[in-house]
Amino acid sequence: MTLLRQALLLLWKDTLLELRRRDSLLTMFFFGTLLLFVFNFAFDLAPDKIATMAPGLLWLAFLFTGTLGLAQLFQAERENHCLDALLLSPLEGGALFLAKAAFNLILMVLVEIVVIPLFWILFNLRLWNLLPQIFLVTLLGTIGFCVLGTLMSAITLRARARELLLPLVLFPLMIPVILATIRCMEEVLRTGQFGDQVAWLRLLLGFDVIFLTAGVLIFDWVIES
Amino acid sequence: MRITIDKLAKAYGFLWALKDLSLDLAPGECVALLGANGAGKTTLLKLLAGLITPTTGAIRLDGVHFSRSMPQLRARIGFLAPADHIYENLSARENLHFFTRLYNRNAASPDLDAALEQVGLEQRGDELVANLSSGMKCRLSIAKWLLLEPELLLVDEPYGVLDGSGIDTLESFLRRQCARGSIVIMASHHVSRVLNLCDRAVILSHGRLTFDESKQQPWPTFDKAFGEFLPSSSR
Repeated sequence: MTLLRQALLLLWKDTLLELRRRDSLLTMFFFGTLLLFVFNFAFDLAPDKIATMAPGLLWLAFLFTGTLGLAQLFQAERENHCLDALLLSPLEGGALFLAKAAFNLILMVLVEIVVIPLFWILFNLRLWNLLPQIFLVTLLGTIGFCVLGTLMSAITLRARARELLLPLVLFPLMIPVILATIRCMEEVLRTGQFGDQVAWLRLLLGFDVIFLTAGVLIFDWVIES
Repeated sequence: MRITIDKLAKAYGFLWALKDLSLDLAPGECVALLGANGAGKTTLLKLLAGLITPTTGAIRLDGVHFSRSMPQLRARIGFLAPADHIYENLSARENLHFFTRLYNRNAASPDLDAALEQVGLEQRGDELVANLSSGMKCRLSIAKWLLLEPELLLVDEPYGVLDGSGIDTLESFLRRQCARGSIVIMASHHVSRVLNLCDRAVILSHGRLTFDESKQQPWPTFDKAFGEFLPSSSR
């Protein structure tokens, strides 16, 4: 209960700060949109190639925009040594992890709500009825990205070139999530259902649960060291 | 709260910032922590706050070995770092609201207003901290700890940013803290001012405790110990 109460308090604080500064959301939104336009100019997707190309392109856009958000995740705590203020308080590390992961998830979902339909429009995809399944897979993948990204962001927090280091550490570990989401999305776009790719969906769920639990348990140690 | 520091040491790589330090602090004591730059004052404060872990030795609060994994003990410790530990893009009132909730204290709006009034920020409560001066930020930090009432308050060089009335506010707050049984440890280079407030002086030199006595008048042993590490112009 204390964990959730503290996490909600931190989430309220981060949301308020973001509403004031609008740094992360605006940057992520414009960068994501910009990438889609670049992809649109660079690739001419034939209808038979959509299922194989679209998921990869979409996830490239999510990875890059998400990394921008992660780089800003602890910005408020770096100013005025506010991280020390949190470490000094009776705050549980797990609550800080949950709040930061949830905040990053909110930002990414807001960006995805705009980016996915825009991708459909730009590439003239007519499969609008498949959007719910695509959103479901994207959400599971995004949760995985946010929990692992929050952990990595905290690990690289005190590094000198943290913005450069973060994607180098994060992207290799994200390979299972990227692979699973792309396979699931491919199948949905090809057949309209998950079919025999349900195993990838289970892997995504498992990844989310494992790293969410691990994050809550080890974040105290991660943030201290 | 009673604090026992037992053979505490902290090394950064091969450099010993603090070595073999033992102290016993009783409730209500106000301790001046003195020493030249790099003597280990801030390291000691951070160790007591649980922000860093000792290389060897132990800190006991009421006989209980203190480590960061004890949130209930952390809640009893405050660290007043002037103009630090507050969020720039929250208002003064929002900062107080956030930290009191974080410490699980149910401070109502009138309590926040009263704290702001005590530090002279009643007119600036709704302003973003980013728009406040360093002195005002320090006053806000005082208001924060005024509401949280820690049993051990660590104060790191507070005089640099405060004006005359700010110093009066700080000193009356620290006196009140000691009167209600809290321990105050204040690191500062403003020796005469801090000695006027505190009833015990501790001098660190190169990470070692070189002096520890209760205040006396006159105090020749202090003058001698103090003179060994600082030129007379600094007094």
